[in-house]
Amino acid sequence: MSEILRAENIHKYFGKLHVLKGVSLSIQKGEVVVIIGPSGSGKSTFLRCINHLEEYQEGKIYFEGKLVNPKKDVNKLRTRIGMVFQHFNLFPHLKVIENLTLAPVKVLGMDEKEAIKKAENLLDRVGLLDKKDVYPAKLSGGQQQRVAIARALMMDPDIMLFDEPTSALDPELVYEVLSVMKDLASSGMTMIVVTHEMGFAKEVANRVMFMDEGKILEEAPPEEFFTSPKNERTKEFLDRILGI
Amino acid sequence: MYQLEVLIRNFTYLLLGAVVTLKITAISVLMGLAIGTFVGMGRLSKRKIISIPSSIYVEFLRGTPLLVQIFLIYFGLPSLGLNLEAFPAAVIALGINSGAYVAEIVRAGIQSVPKGQYEAARSLGMSHTMAMRYVILPQAFRNILPALGNEFIALLKDSSLVSVIGITELMKSGQIVISRTFASFSIYGGVALIYFAMTFTLARIVRYTEKRLAIR
Ligand SMILES: Nc1ncnc2c1ncn2[C@@H]1O[C@H](COP(=O)(O)OP(=O)(O)OP(=O)(O)O)[C@@H](O)[C@H]1O
Ligand SMILES: [Mg+2]
Repeated sequence: MSEILRAENIHKYFGKLHVLKGVSLSIQKGEVVVIIGPSGSGKSTFLRCINHLEEYQEGKIYFEGKLVNPKKDVNKLRTRIGMVFQHFNLFPHLKVIENLTLAPVKVLGMDEKEAIKKAENLLDRVGLLDKKDVYPAKLSGGQQQRVAIARALMMDPDIMLFDEPTSALDPELVYEVLSVMKDLASSGMTMIVVTHEMGFAKEVANRVMFMDEGKILEEAPPEEFFTSPKNERTKEFLDRILGI
Repeated sequence: MYQLEVLIRNFTYLLLGAVVTLKITAISVLMGLAIGTFVGMGRLSKRKIISIPSSIYVEFLRGTPLLVQIFLIYFGLPSLGLNLEAFPAAVIALGINSGAYVAEIVRAGIQSVPKGQYEAARSLGMSHTMAMRYVILPQAFRNILPALGNEFIALLKDSSLVSVIGITELMKSGQIVISRTFASFSIYGGVALIYFAMTFTLARIVRYTEKRLAIR
């Protein structure tokens, strides 16, 4: 296995607020890492630092072994990193298919016809080919999120980041999004997933990390993580979230 | 009766003036839109070197009378060695002025687009410019279409001010007819009606476009 991404000792401040206090993570190709933790612990901020939507004040990020220069490399880097947001963030003025083709055509210079073909394949893969000509507002939350996943996949990313992709969804729509994510994981995609879906974590993750107050407090394979957590805070959090 | 007769006889002449009004308005609108889009984005720039001049531009042009601006460009610039004919001077003055108002509208429009849109665009590798062009501005313009429409209507009406530098647009055409016929009431009445017909139609066009472009 080869390392695809490494974050070293990331510190992030919002003004005086110290949000990330030295977070490190290394992820191998094909690995699925799930990050859990209480609200406000810095999970989203950490994901956003990885693809530089957020600046960090200290620390280094390596992508495929190369140190990322936040001033120079970000546009290129972001084409390699797919991101899926809690609130989907589809472009409402564009049809589903245009949501998918916009970036590959404009950013990668992909041929328009080729982009459409690829988009149709991906929409088929997430089960939404019949929706290609509608506007996002016409779709349910679950459908929108599947489109958002397909949109990110259009760039052929090397790694996908998911920030609570199902937490804005009605419970009955969670399943369809998780199942797309499971397919993606089994196709070998490298993924970092922030989620409260413990079932997903148990089933799909190679590693689970617990983040609290800007630090990774514990990290283990899911069996171990859920059955014998070592850190007191992890235990408390799991008790609360699993309702024990 | 005399009054009405004069109006009817000179109506075509007034309409010719109205065509000039439309021409001036159309060119100034385009200029105002171009300036306003860049200055509006400029005001939101993180770089002070861009945002401060943009703010000064907007504040200065909104804080001084349009008539003074027209005089400054038509009568003032020649003393600096820059001679402009009346028509380009008029269009430039109106365009620059409208640009300031459009800038404020565009700024509000950009701010009305949720931040997640910009982030989604950037997360797909788009540059700032691409994100603005393909994602933010198209949505912003849909949101601000009613406000822009109002601005264009105001501009059409304000264009009557350039009659003072001798452009024979609608207002000036009316004055010329009156100086020959003294039928002030019917001619100014006719002028007002023609202005109203134009602003009313423009408002309708804006409403129609708004509906067509509304996000489905
Ligand atoms: N743009 C911002 N400006 C100031 N503070 C921020 C900003 N974004 C996040 N924060 C703060 O940073 C901390 C971490 O936020 P973050 O969104 O990363 O948490 P999270 O773990 O993702 O929480 P949640 O589970 O609620 O999504 C919080 O205290 C939050 O209030
Ligand atoms: Mg979050």
